[in-house]
Amino acid sequence: MSVERSIKQYEEDRKEAARIAARLLLASATTSPRVGGVGECTVQILDDECHIEDLCQAIEEMAGENEKWDFFKRDAMMLRDADAVLVVTSIRCLTDPADINCNMCGKLTCEYQRQVPKLTREAGIAYTGPLCLFRANNISYAIETIMSTARNMGIDYGVFWSAGAAAMRMKLVPKNTGFCLAVGISITEKSPFRDIPKKYADINEAAMNDRIIKRLWPQFRSIYS
Amino acid sequence: MATEMNELLLNGLDRAVELMVVAAHNSFRFGNRNTVQIARLTTEDQKEIAEFCYSLGDMSPLAARDGRFLMELIKEPCALLMFGDKRKSDFNFNCGACGYKTCAELNRVDEMESLTARGPSCQFKAINLNIAASAAASMAWRLGLHCRVFSTLGFASFALNKMEGVDMAVTVSVSVARRDPYFDRHQFWTDEHWDETFNKEFPTFTRGFIGAIEQE
Repeated sequence: MSVERSIKQYEEDRKEAARIAARLLLASATTSPRVGGVGECTVQILDDECHIEDLCQAIEEMAGENEKWDFFKRDAMMLRDADAVLVVTSIRCLTDPADINCNMCGKLTCEYQRQVPKLTREAGIAYTGPLCLFRANNISYAIETIMSTARNMGIDYGVFWSAGAAAMRMKLVPKNTGFCLAVGISITEKSPFRDIPKKYADINEAAMNDRIIKRLWPQFRSIYS
Repeated sequence: MATEMNELLLNGLDRAVELMVVAAHNSFRFGNRNTVQIARLTTEDQKEIAEFCYSLGDMSPLAARDGRFLMELIKEPCALLMFGDKRKSDFNFNCGACGYKTCAELNRVDEMESLTARGPSCQFKAINLNIAASAAASMAWRLGLHCRVFSTLGFASFALNKMEGVDMAVTVSVSVARRDPYFDRHQFWTDEHWDETFNKEFPTFTRGFIGAIEQE
């Protein structure tokens, strides 16, 4: 299918804009506040559509593991339309409690928290808690700053914990990562993260294109020609 | 008649704090559950918090410093916003971050009381709470206020029960002081104390020869 040169150029520039924006959002996330100024978060950028598709398939695989994770399929379908995904990690919360005995984890002291056995890595478990909440809270500053900057730049975004959990499964993140969230960004005229109809995992743009254009239209064309 | 600069600053601070609360209240939440409570603490509250933090003394040098700092901060126009939320999960994500396999399990276990927070908490409740705090800080930054997020003051305001019915708290402090009071706070340490603490925390390990004994 031929596309006008100018439209093709626009498509390329739009994708390039998403790549640049993802890096600027990474900058913003990196400089956001950290409790006590201790480095805690990393940001991984996925801006290749094949990599995003791999992530989406991992999310879909996880959907079946836990009855409460049915919405993972919807998340995956939304993220397929993302131009880039930023995976934000918390790399101290699993192995390095903050030693301030805040009791948010409910173990009273960090010493006790260290002694509590972690959940094992298995199907149906996204994060192997108990984590140090005080450490992991840093991730909210990184995520909120990404959202805030994205709003300033006029970029559509969606926040997903499913994608963070899947990125951990896929080992796309540092090995000590205990908690992980993801932000999808999109530079398109209609945000893929808003106005999500019911049954979106089954009824979406790709499915409708397939059903109406790829399946019905050739048949119609064969018959009525 | 022209309005005094101080009056303008004070009014501006009040408006800014209101806008920060709006930004925080309308910010993103996981699970579409907006249960975060927000309050502006009075100067009296701040004094109380400062004294409490200072009283922690050797137990937490960080809290003690922030206590002394707050005492100085409230001499110029400033505001302290407190954000609090419950600890139990209402998400049903069953994600495991809290250390329990299901949200129901987390909500069933015995509560652990402490000065700083009640646990165990849902990780996503904590994330939602801190996203609200960060949104307020983002707004403050955009409005040109001096700003810093304080978990020490949050723990203290929780300990002093400044907000009913919450299990964890964080605070955002803003100020319209003549210079940014939140960073490079060297005035709270004497040079001698700084040197002494530094040498204690970061021993050099430069020994004359292998097997030498460090002097007390």
